[in-house]
Amino acid sequence: MLIPTISKVSNVTQKPLELILARNLMSALSTPAFLVDEGGVLVFYNEAAGIMLGKRFEELGTVGPEEWGSLFGPFDEAGEPIPYDELPLVVAVRNGRPAHANFEISSADGTHHSVEASAFPILTAHGSQGAIAVFWPTASNGSAS
Amino acid sequence: MKVKLWGTRGSIPSPGPETIRYGGNTSCVGVTLSDGSMLALDAGTGIRSLGNALAAEPARLHILLTHLHLDHIQGLVFFAPAFRAQTEIVIWGPSSPEASLRDRISRYISAPLSPVEVRELPCDVSFRHCPQAEWEIGPARIRAASVAHRGPTLGYRIDDAGSSLAYIPDHEPALGADIDTLEDEWISGLGLAHNASLLIHDGQYTDDEYPDHLGWGHSSLSHAISFARRAGAERTLLFHHDPMHSDARLDELARGARERWQALGGDPSRIELAMERAEYELPVHTALAS
Repeated sequence: MLIPTISKVSNVTQKPLELILARNLMSALSTPAFLVDEGGVLVFYNEAAGIMLGKRFEELGTVGPEEWGSLFGPFDEAGEPIPYDELPLVVAVRNGRPAHANFEISSADGTHHSVEASAFPILTAHGSQGAIAVFWPTASNGSAS
Repeated sequence: MKVKLWGTRGSIPSPGPETIRYGGNTSCVGVTLSDGSMLALDAGTGIRSLGNALAAEPARLHILLTHLHLDHIQGLVFFAPAFRAQTEIVIWGPSSPEASLRDRISRYISAPLSPVEVRELPCDVSFRHCPQAEWEIGPARIRAASVAHRGPTLGYRIDDAGSSLAYIPDHEPALGADIDTLEDEWISGLGLAHNASLLIHDGQYTDDEYPDHLGWGHSSLSHAISFARRAGAERTLLFHHDPMHSDARLDELARGARERWQALGGDPSRIELAMERAEYELPVHTALAS
């Protein structure tokens, strides 16, 4: 059977499968979770994270490295901003090791949330493809930023 | 590029009078490139007939394995060219952190499962992990990418002379995902299948069967059709038929697939269920081929 074709090329740049599967899993979780790619770009967070932040991922879209680190804080116990390089998600994606921290974040309406965050790198046969962070809300103090 | 289906069945060979038209051999597709060189996509039991059809003269053959489930490698030890000293066979497949491709295949081609060992094969056989970047075999550009299935699994795209074949026989892109609404870049396999001249894609389960097989790594017909629509392939073959599906059942499913395709705005002649021994020719586009 001869198939008449119009020559076309694929112009879809596929995300690595491991990120696709991570996003699919995160979408089904009720725990706030964040996903960055190997370059540190925030490529997804789930509905639970959107509720915590007061903004759905679909409203925000992808956010470049450095930028997302300051969008919602985070702050230490003294209210001082935590350096981007020290955030668990950044440690995980840059250093390829898990990281854990406690800090506060500020949601879109100014509410502060105390969270514990655990991040781990997504390592594949082809090296690191990114990292996942899971947030465990420990308190919400309701104070405005 | 010429494409011939030597095995269209999934899971286990299913010979018998009830599967004689769609075929009972497991996954194997023969591809003849524009320069006459030959690729085999997977080495299910269908590769035995492919091997028998090849001339017994010196040849270099490439076998591209999507993964190492038995229905995709079972025919390797019955592939006649592997028993000819003048044949060179290059077997490509997915890498794994656990063992090399050669070592993993050797678990099948060794005692007690096989009467011969890899080292005893008379042919010159080598094993290569598929690179992340596109590579060339003869005149074709080959791209492999991991796709959603159980264990390390690849899909392939072969571009040759301006036409393209996408081969994703074992694939569950809708696992935990709404493939009707997700962005293209977040759908497993879509980069391989996008705008393909011919897409060969998993369509193992009916929509009724799928919930009992969630996470097994295969598609329902509806998911396969949604995927193909998103991909924009010019023609789609639904492949990897369930061993429980007779020819009569597959005829019903083919009718349903065409109706659904048409309901979604597609030309119903552009989707069909893969049939063993069917042949397709993807024309040369000289402007792009040069």
